[in-house]
Amino acid sequence: MKPTHILAATTPVLVFLVTTATAQQANPPAVRYDQHISAGGNPPPSGTLTNPVKGDSSAAADGAKLFGAFNCDGCHAGGAVGAVGPSLADGRWRYGGSDGEIFSSIYFGRQGMPAFGGILPPDAIWKLVTYLQSLQPKEDNPTVSW
Amino acid sequence: MIRHRLTRRLIVATVMVLLAPRTAGGQAATAASKDDGQWTMPAKDYASTRFSGLSQINAVNARRLRALWSFSTGVLGGHEGQPLVVNNTMYVVTPYPNVLYAFDLTQEGYPLKWKYRPNVNPAVIGIACCDLVNRGAFYADGKIVYNLLDGYTVAVDATTGKEIWKTKIADVYKGESTPMAPLIVKDKVIVGTAGGEYGVRGWIKGLDLKSGQVLWTAYSIGPDDEVLVNQATFKSFYDKGPDLAGLKSWPKDGWKNGGAPVWGWLSYDPTLDLIYYGTGNPAPWNVEQRPGDNKWATSVMARDPDDGSLRWAYQFTNGDNWDFDSTQEMILADLMVKGRLRKVLVHFDKNGFAYTIDRATGEVLVAEPFVAVNWAKRVDLKTGRPEMDPTKLTGASKGNITDICPTLEGGKNQQPAGYSPRTGLFYVPTNNMCMDFQSAQVNYVVGTPYIGAGAPYKPGPGGNLGAFIAWDAANGKRVWEIKEKYPVWSGALATAGSVVFYGTLDGWLKAADARTGTLLWKFKVGSGVIGNPITFTGPDGKQYVAVYAGFGGDWFLLSGDVRSDDPADVRPAATFMPDIARHTSQGGIVWIFGL
Repeated sequence: MKPTHILAATTPVLVFLVTTATAQQANPPAVRYDQHISAGGNPPPSGTLTNPVKGDSSAAADGAKLFGAFNCDGCHAGGAVGAVGPSLADGRWRYGGSDGEIFSSIYFGRQGMPAFGGILPPDAIWKLVTYLQSLQPKEDNPTVSW
Repeated sequence: MIRHRLTRRLIVATVMVLLAPRTAGGQAATAASKDDGQWTMPAKDYASTRFSGLSQINAVNARRLRALWSFSTGVLGGHEGQPLVVNNTMYVVTPYPNVLYAFDLTQEGYPLKWKYRPNVNPAVIGIACCDLVNRGAFYADGKIVYNLLDGYTVAVDATTGKEIWKTKIADVYKGESTPMAPLIVKDKVIVGTAGGEYGVRGWIKGLDLKSGQVLWTAYSIGPDDEVLVNQATFKSFYDKGPDLAGLKSWPKDGWKNGGAPVWGWLSYDPTLDLIYYGTGNPAPWNVEQRPGDNKWATSVMARDPDDGSLRWAYQFTNGDNWDFDSTQEMILADLMVKGRLRKVLVHFDKNGFAYTIDRATGEVLVAEPFVAVNWAKRVDLKTGRPEMDPTKLTGASKGNITDICPTLEGGKNQQPAGYSPRTGLFYVPTNNMCMDFQSAQVNYVVGTPYIGAGAPYKPGPGGNLGAFIAWDAANGKRVWEIKEKYPVWSGALATAGSVVFYGTLDGWLKAADARTGTLLWKFKVGSGVIGNPITFTGPDGKQYVAVYAGFGGDWFLLSGDVRSDDPADVRPAATFMPDIARHTSQGGIVWIFGL
């Protein structure tokens, strides 16, 4: 079974649309499918978005399934411990670890990472965010000893 | 007066020596490769032997080898591949972003003549399955030709470093990427695509060496006219047709995202006028989404280099259940097999069998395991098919299948073996691991991994994760073995001095006696070795050995915490090799050694 692709009919002006979405805290718009790979670039500020299902264990469980179903584990490994893509389970974030920052990374993509905004609705992305947040270690231990 | 004459003579002689290799270098690659002082193509010669006739460094004096020079490439990605040495210049291609360095070997400290910095699309970072590697360049007709990871082939003037042509061959937005080294045959540049983990449809292309124009494209899978196969010219020992391209060995449309990429090495037999290469795994890994043999994935292909037409093919792993790519090199040799001198190709497959195959017909003459194998009992030479163990078959409905040997890293992977016609032995870097394999249904999402399986590794019999072995391909027997703690992911170099070289994942370059496997020398090169040692003659007439250090490749993904460049990426150690990060981190260095 192939995932449903959400295709916008015309080219959206991303910054404009996202600014609108952010201001209203509404669902961000779909990303055109051909932007799906390398939307990347400079995502708009996203600090004001908050995770509507934060800490919800069933949302985290759904997110874990999505993490497999949409091939996130193909790059970040099972358990998101890192493979060709970085670890998402170490409590550290290259592009910021706030709700909105994680959401944006998935929605718009980052260097080397496709934008999933074109193929996943926002509530699914929030479930992924919730799953990743559930993996974070309680404390950051920077030392490895042999 | 006499003294003056002598000096003049010496000057004349010196000038002639300096001029000689420049003249030779202007000729075709076939002529240059006869010169053992140079290394003009990835595997030294068209037969992919990685054998050099140089013998100044020998089994007696190898213990006196020492490091003479090193250079940081400034790049952290895994340094697979090997340098070229042509006309007293050493050429080094880095992993992404694929910088090309030209070192002047006639000057003290080997300063750069130039460096070429292509503009490579960073989107490919998410499309290359297994680190951002490059497997090397090819020298021909005054050009250095290589692939950029984002789907371009470039030709750069070997003297000036100026770009001569740049051709788009692959589309990163379809999951294609191009880490492999080209092969140049006559006036054709042959290149292929990676992407077996992204649901591409694999191909090779023939480009015009002069202009870079794409002249033909030959898909690994699909309809006959796109696989470039027809009844008139296709004569294969086992597969007689009528389904030559194997379209019926796929579910309807399954072949369209069916993988069979080409990311390994190519060989060429000038007498038969055939190129040989292996294709990668069928996609996805979950075999239940693609019932059938899945031709011509996991196969060796023999094609005419002029028009790309398929002359014969043979599939090693029918309906692959385990990600057993067959992209490993095909080494061409003439061997006495069962009392007859045969023109063969020798191939060490991911699936753990070493194949000795008649390279004119595709008949399998010998197929024996070179590592621990349990997914198949044997290969039936009459049918060419492996006798699979039904308890090791995988699939989403079968759950977790345990203790399959070897792993999907293969008995051998990209790390190329070597062959010495002096000893008659093949020198093979190997992995010694087994795996559990759990498949799952997977969706094709363009530009994301199309895999559908998880497969944790464990050490194979004996506990050592790798070994460097000598193999008798006429009889299918291991002659000697050097056990290594970690998978041996570097290539082999064989020399007429009866010394073989290889590197280790924990960062040693080692020299061993080609006949006995006795370790002669080793040196810690600063990072794990996954590149391939080469040897050449310097402007001073002395023999040198060069190699890359630079941990990575599959082990960048799978080793745990081996990176130090990203504060936000801290990983648990890999269960099967928990202490590799104690011995190496990333970082590319080019090394030169001599006596």
